[in-house]
Amino acid sequence: MIQVDKLAKSFKDKKRGIVHALDHVSFQVKAGEIFGLLGPNGAGKTTCLRLLATILKPTSGTAQVGGADIVQSPESVRRQIGFLSGDMGSHARLTPREVLSFFGKLNGITGSKLSQRIDQMVELFDFREYADTKIDKLSTGMKQKVAIARTVLHDPPILILDEPSAGLDVPTARLIERFILNAKESGKCILFSTHVMEEAEYLCDRIGVVHQGRLKAEGTMEQLRELTGKQRLREIFLDLLDMPEAVGAGI
Amino acid sequence: MNLRTSAAVYQKELLEIFRDRRTMISMVVVPLVAIPLMFNLINRFMTSREKQAEGESITVGVLDESKVPTVLPALKAAGFRPVVKADLRAAVANKEVAAAVEEAEAETGDAVTGKRISIYIDRTRQASDIAGDKIRTALDKLKIDTVRASLRGSGVSEKILTPFSTTRVNVASEKKMSGLIFGSALGYIVILLMFTGAMYPAIDMTAGEKERRTLEAVLCSPAGRNEIVFGKILATSTAAFITALLTLGSMAYSFRFAPHASQSQEAFHMGAPDIGSLAMALFAVIPTAIMAASLMVAIALFAKSYKEGQSYLTPIVMLAAFPAVVGMLPGLELTPVLALIPIFNVCQLIKEIFLGEFSRAAFAVTLGSNLVYAAIAFYIASRIFKSESVLFRV
Repeated sequence: MIQVDKLAKSFKDKKRGIVHALDHVSFQVKAGEIFGLLGPNGAGKTTCLRLLATILKPTSGTAQVGGADIVQSPESVRRQIGFLSGDMGSHARLTPREVLSFFGKLNGITGSKLSQRIDQMVELFDFREYADTKIDKLSTGMKQKVAIARTVLHDPPILILDEPSAGLDVPTARLIERFILNAKESGKCILFSTHVMEEAEYLCDRIGVVHQGRLKAEGTMEQLRELTGKQRLREIFLDLLDMPEAVGAGI
Repeated sequence: MNLRTSAAVYQKELLEIFRDRRTMISMVVVPLVAIPLMFNLINRFMTSREKQAEGESITVGVLDESKVPTVLPALKAAGFRPVVKADLRAAVANKEVAAAVEEAEAETGDAVTGKRISIYIDRTRQASDIAGDKIRTALDKLKIDTVRASLRGSGVSEKILTPFSTTRVNVASEKKMSGLIFGSALGYIVILLMFTGAMYPAIDMTAGEKERRTLEAVLCSPAGRNEIVFGKILATSTAAFITALLTLGSMAYSFRFAPHASQSQEAFHMGAPDIGSLAMALFAVIPTAIMAASLMVAIALFAKSYKEGQSYLTPIVMLAAFPAVVGMLPGLELTPVLALIPIFNVCQLIKEIFLGEFSRAAFAVTLGSNLVYAAIAFYIASRIFKSESVLFRV
């Protein structure tokens, strides 16, 4: 479902000159699979996900998302994805129902179908009580439920999640984890980034370690253990960061 | 471009605009509350000042009543109250009296009565200026009466004093006179408030969305950038137009119903415009509202926070005020060439609409040119909205 091929993105920076935020990264994610991009801050994870969500354009390379090319058919790509970021804010002046209505319309859902879908989301994520309360009056957990509902409202086959549990307390982070596992069970293709080792180890079928814009290695936990000779993901991760060149199971 | 998507963005933005306190203050409270209040206060202040000046203007300083024998009866007849002062200049300067009158012996051949009369006034003071005018009128009457008395004894007809009479006829219609008062100020105020009314929504839905980190979710949806920016500009234009509508309505109401006392303020009240002119003025501001909205959205996109957006757009509002001020100047006419100057053209057009003398060509050129500017500003805004470096500061 996601096929990334030598994807690269460079920025011009006044002080640093040309910065290679993403340097010829390749990987793929299948339907019903959770692929985790693991890396320190500034590794290029967010850039990679933004490129796949077509809100940034690649400098070189390409990617297919749900069979659509991110450069040639960005709108077709966006139709098939649900994008959630831990850094995203919420429309504080709107109610959850209004937010869902807005994003439903952006995804081409209208009329009674939209109303039905919104009701389904309200039931599924259990926020009937505050569905018509302005979002700025809600707690972080409640807001996160609304954000998840907004992400899956149009039932996208692909989920791109950028550090979705960043800054959340344990119960709210747990909510995100359940959501990801449920999505996997329903056959969705899930690409998510994190720098939380436990989260990656617990959720991911395969993990890609990104550092300084480059994919150092990718594979299952077993493959990464074999590659580094280390057991815990934290050790594997640190080991891979120190390696000068890209190595690894899927590389 | 999918207009349904733009309509969804438009709806959502309007909902947010109407729930934003800052926007509601600039869009609704200022035109509906501040303007009538301002007119009311100005009127009350002017009325009270005029009354005060009237009261002050009846005092006239003299060295001694016996030293102004020629003019004293005339001054008293005109309602003046003589006040004895040793230093007339100082008394006027120190506001002890409104004006002062002094009689002196004239040089040979200077006057029939042998008197030279000096009037002391302080022209920086309204009461003193009014008193000076009244004294001069009283003395002019005295002069004529003196001549008449002399002529009566000589057997020459008094009619010689009035070889002809003059009448000043104002050919301007009441509508034109009212338009002069209403239209001149209106263009400036409408444009200024319209830009302010567009400013907060423009910031809120660009820099504000960046700051609140809600823009990324919208960009990840299937909506195209043009569709999103079109919805946002349309919502900002609506806010600008609502501000213009409320400002026009509020000003018309204020002109009609503000309290008034003096003759000069009667003219002010006469200035309340007719519905047809108001409707035409509203129609004329539509392209400018779109242009202002596009321009502000384009500029506010560069800001990454609400505060930064405010510092970018406040100078734009001030810049917009310059051509609007020029539009207030009397004597300017909207030629087809001048109709190409943005903002000035619509201010001048509004003035001419209320004067009832605009040309169709100038109207068409103004609307046409402003539509072109709006289209250019929209194009620039849509280009900027596609720029990664602007949206994500990368």
